[in-house]
Amino acid sequence: MLTIAAARPAAYSFDLSTTALLVIDMQRDFLEPGGFGASLGNDVEQLRRTITPLAALLAGARAAGLTVVHTREGHLPDLSDCPPAKLHRGAPSLRIGDAGPNGRILIRGEYGHDIVDELAPLPGEPVIDKPGKGAFYATGLDALLTERNIHSLLVTGVTTEVCVHTTVREANDRGYECLVLADCVGSYFPEFQRVGLDMIAAQGGIFGWVAESTDVLAVLPSTPVLQPSS
Amino acid sequence: MGRIGPVTAAPYPWPYDGAADTAHTALLCIDWQTDFCGPGGYVDAMGYDIGLTRAGLPATARLLAHARALGMLVVHTREGHDPDLSDLPANKRWRSAQIGAEIGAPGPCGRILVKGEPGWEIVPEVAPAPGEVIIDKPGKGAFYATNLDLVLRTRGITHLILTGITTDVCVHTTMREANDRGYECLILADCTGATDKGNHDAALHMVTMQGGVFGCVATSDDVIAATTQ
Repeated sequence: MLTIAAARPAAYSFDLSTTALLVIDMQRDFLEPGGFGASLGNDVEQLRRTITPLAALLAGARAAGLTVVHTREGHLPDLSDCPPAKLHRGAPSLRIGDAGPNGRILIRGEYGHDIVDELAPLPGEPVIDKPGKGAFYATGLDALLTERNIHSLLVTGVTTEVCVHTTVREANDRGYECLVLADCVGSYFPEFQRVGLDMIAAQGGIFGWVAESTDVLAVLPSTPVLQPSS
Repeated sequence: MGRIGPVTAAPYPWPYDGAADTAHTALLCIDWQTDFCGPGGYVDAMGYDIGLTRAGLPATARLLAHARALGMLVVHTREGHDPDLSDLPANKRWRSAQIGAEIGAPGPCGRILVKGEPGWEIVPEVAPAPGEVIIDKPGKGAFYATNLDLVLRTRGITHLILTGITTDVCVHTTMREANDRGYECLILADCTGATDKGNHDAALHMVTMQGGVFGCVATSDDVIAATTQ
């Protein structure tokens, strides 16, 4: 059992064999100019600061033999899995399915829908495609984690108050112990980054724990101590 | 039957499709339980000010009467666990113990957050009327491990108006779940409340970003004013 004493609101303990690193929606559509995030008027630089620490954490997790799971938000090309309320609300300059500089916005198979090069999944690492903000709804994530006997999640990705928060809330209700890594999650809005992390650790850790990626790297072994799950 | 909308709301006039038929709109009353807003309940035992979580009760009671008069579907939810705690995740129990209000332990209102105990009951101001749907849920979200989605789809519900406590925890989790499932959601600022005013305000603000990433925010007066019979 490894322990991160610096986590808030209290120390967080996890076992390598029952822990996964979850990398949420580090997609070009959210992180690069010309994508969906930018079309909503957001400054993508606010999210890009997560790439370097997350790349280091990903390397450390792989070296330690941790299960790594990536997620992507997106829809089928015919938009049959996109609720009308999601498609039509608001007034973005580009809607889901519209043609953008990186292909059709948030459509599976398009260049913009895929994960940024710096954090590209390795062959064999599961990639969960999800139609919503939460990674559990309408996906096989819960079954995948159950099959691999995962109980603890190290949570990273974007954006803090939307997809990361929704997924952590879903995971918490399902009994998973979530440690959110502050420097590896990002919001377009600094205020939501701060309050989003505070909400997770509030009321005795009502949704989970919060720490920094360096806290995790400090306790991870540099060589695998377990066989990867089959 | 009537119609609701367009409601003056942020960030857009709700709903996205102009107006909602009251036959396809449900009023959700989330976790108005003594444990969260009554003296001696779970939140009180944790040392929080229940004045903050009770603040939305008068407006919710008024909107509840409005919804009943319109014949709208009203759904109440309750967070709680079986008496043997078989549906209580170990980490949820551990964390509640750390802050001095262990789920399942005896308190002034019976065993904390246990089904059938006085503290688990909905407070009288917004008590369910006979025949109204009550969803018992083991988590923060009202969709996980419940039949809420089935009940709503069976009744043809497409639009949801959310009230309840607490804004940033159970109401927000439920709104996020509903939004992913395609329901068009409206959360009411005066019919919700949190243990921390800052978290209440931030949770409402989050809804309005990105063109309404989870739906819209309004008040009960806005809903009543936008209702036509």
